[in-house]
Amino acid sequence: MKRTILSFAVMIIVILLVSFLLIAMVGSDIPTSLASFFRGIGGSTCAMAEVLVRATPLMLAALGVSVGFRTGFLNIGAEGQLYLGAISITWLGMTFPTLPAPLMLVLSLVLGFLSGGLWALIPGFLKAKFGLSEVINTIMLNYIAINLVGILVRTSLKDPTYPYPMSPMLPASTNFLQLLSPTRLHAGLLLALVCAALVYLLMFRTTLGFCMRAVGLNARACQCSGIAVSKYVIISSLISGGLSGLAGVSEIAGLHHRLIEGISPSYGYLAIIVSLLGRNNPVGIVFASLGIAALQVGSMSMQRSSGVPTSIASIIMGLVVIMILSRKSLFRCKEA
Amino acid sequence: MPTLRMSKIDKQFFGKMANEQVDFTLEQGEIHALLGENGAGKTTLMNILYGIYQADSGCIELDGKPVSIKSPKDAIALQIGMVHQHFTLVPTLTVRQNITLGLKSKGYPFVNAKELDRSIRTLSERYNLTVDPAALVGSLSVGQQQRVEIMKVLYRNARLIILDEPTAVLTPQEVESLFIVLRRLREEGHSVIIITHHIDEVLAITDRVTVLRAARNAGHVVTRETSEEELSSLMIGRKLQKIERKPLPFSFASKGLQLDSIQSKNGPLGPLSLSIPAGSIVGIAGVDGNGQKALAEVIMGIRDIESGTITLDGKPLQHLSVKERKALGIGYISDDRLKDGLVLDMDVRDNFLLSSYDKREYTSHALIDTKRVQQATEQAVSLYAIKTASLSTPVRYLSGGNQQKLIVARELGDQPKVVVACQPTRGLDIGSTEEVHSILLDLRSQGCSVLLISSDLDEILTLSDKIAVIYQGTIMDVLDHDKVDMTHLGLLMAGSKTRRSV
Repeated sequence: MKRTILSFAVMIIVILLVSFLLIAMVGSDIPTSLASFFRGIGGSTCAMAEVLVRATPLMLAALGVSVGFRTGFLNIGAEGQLYLGAISITWLGMTFPTLPAPLMLVLSLVLGFLSGGLWALIPGFLKAKFGLSEVINTIMLNYIAINLVGILVRTSLKDPTYPYPMSPMLPASTNFLQLLSPTRLHAGLLLALVCAALVYLLMFRTTLGFCMRAVGLNARACQCSGIAVSKYVIISSLISGGLSGLAGVSEIAGLHHRLIEGISPSYGYLAIIVSLLGRNNPVGIVFASLGIAALQVGSMSMQRSSGVPTSIASIIMGLVVIMILSRKSLFRCKEA
Repeated sequence: MPTLRMSKIDKQFFGKMANEQVDFTLEQGEIHALLGENGAGKTTLMNILYGIYQADSGCIELDGKPVSIKSPKDAIALQIGMVHQHFTLVPTLTVRQNITLGLKSKGYPFVNAKELDRSIRTLSERYNLTVDPAALVGSLSVGQQQRVEIMKVLYRNARLIILDEPTAVLTPQEVESLFIVLRRLREEGHSVIIITHHIDEVLAITDRVTVLRAARNAGHVVTRETSEEELSSLMIGRKLQKIERKPLPFSFASKGLQLDSIQSKNGPLGPLSLSIPAGSIVGIAGVDGNGQKALAEVIMGIRDIESGTITLDGKPLQHLSVKERKALGIGYISDDRLKDGLVLDMDVRDNFLLSSYDKREYTSHALIDTKRVQQATEQAVSLYAIKTASLSTPVRYLSGGNQQKLIVARELGDQPKVVVACQPTRGLDIGSTEEVHSILLDLRSQGCSVLLISSDLDEILTLSDKIAVIYQGTIMDVLDHDKVDMTHLGLLMAGSKTRRSV
């Protein structure tokens, strides 16, 4: 217990020291920078809402990643699956602009889940049936998905009235409810929280979740006990990708309202970190996504007001992950 | 003066005493047995002597001089050698390369193969250890590999040789030739320590015996002056109750499990036919690695078959999944409980649920009925006397015996029709072994077909109605339990059908 407290104390000190050092290196004033960092996170309703807005896609994609990780399906492809979700709602909105809003909502969620899910199902199937590495395949599918968006916004999904590569504004029926005008907070956050609860139920209360967790921990023992390993790997890839697909839907419906290249500043990759920090547990993921979102929003504010580049957030994040992973070994913590 | 004296050795692992005030002395030129149940601390004590572990307290004297052994390197320098239970050979290297591995001979880094071969041959002849220095270790039989291990130790000039469970993987004939080698070593003035839990071996070959029980010294006797009864009561602290296998007064109508010309898919098995009638135990005798595991996996559906049929009461099984076979009442105890049997990071409850997670009594809709699972697990834990801190303890933290009992409870608790038991008592203490044996016999009298695969011949001979000998994936012969002749059995295990009895 003592060692645990000590280890976290050392971690915080190291993080602070490194941040001070980096801020000093770019020649900014440390107190001003820190003040702007925290003001950016909690200084106003708008600031706080911004953290929640950023946390929403992280939460959804990280929930997806965690379902995969728990089943031993190492899904590095949340980024691509997110883009597939974004494509699906854009297509839906452009093809059926006259659908009533409630139907549009249901359809966009179902379609977003399915497109992200099917995108992940490809590597899931390849792993389950042929033992191919899902790590490589999901990464490769990221490239394909990202460039697919690039092609689509220049061709079939392009706004013909506009010279830039982007889709037209989608009909208002696709939009998520705005929660706290004039902030950008939207109902995607509620969707993410509901998904967190559902993932918890799924993984820890249902037989399906039980089998998925067992497969992730010891596939061989599952095979010997009659649990069909490949079936659960495939189901897990579908759910994992589906949740990331919802992240894409939520970004379009809640925030951008049109498809543009680069709507995700690597949310899919950050989601892996979030899932890791949250120990693949839905509750942990909710808090971890808030933390990572705060770090990002704060560092952006720091860049605006004191000229500290936002790359500092990435450096800190890298450091945090390495320290968390090595903490128990470095401090010889004997936690169960 | 004894050549080795270990006194008051203490060793703790995670707060549990593995050795407590253990004394051990060894005379020059004797074969000394270190006897005890699994987990009694035998291997720990020898690992301390060989420098793999350090004792928490206590001292080691060699020829009267206190020594400190910090690593196997120190031990080798003191002319102590150890042959581990799991061999430490490189299969892709030759015998010579394995024997001289890590040593710098004259002229290093250039190897004078002829010179090395010559010294290896001299050693071979001196100790009756015939091996070809140029052979690849991977191509040798287990018995030959063991010789290479002994040669390795002798080549490093060991005069004190520790053998950890040396007979576990050998056929009766190989055991005989190992004993000849051991006697030869004694004649040459080496001192030999054998770690074992087989009393008959102790009586057959050793001069003196040190018995450990529950981490402490339990006795120290001269072999000539002791008896099987005395040794077993020293070892387990009470009289051993021999399990009685009585013939059943009735027979069962059901045909039980039938395997007909099974050929496993690109595997080590077949063609193989075997019949396990209801209400009988068929034991599979054979040297490890002759397809025993494949046989079990083929019956369970874990391994695919190329051709042949498997039937239970006449109903074909070969196209059914593992799950469907289990649902028909086939229980499976794998020989590798850590990899095949348990999910170590899940708790007792979840592991108990592993093969019955979708049974109607444990689920309502897709949700797991935690309360009922809790009740059922509690019942099983108390019925099979599984020691665990709680039901939510990860099974990683259970002892090997309790892990095995959990598997037994899960696989055999629901009145199975067929039991495939692979090494069901491996790593269990004598008490738990007796329990598992009597459970298997109970199942037999309830009409269950039991396939018992074990490398412990005694276990097979005690429990089985019929003994099938497996060699390179085929059944050499099936013997009635009362017509077993050990020599014949040994020959069959080694793959020879020459003295086939009908």
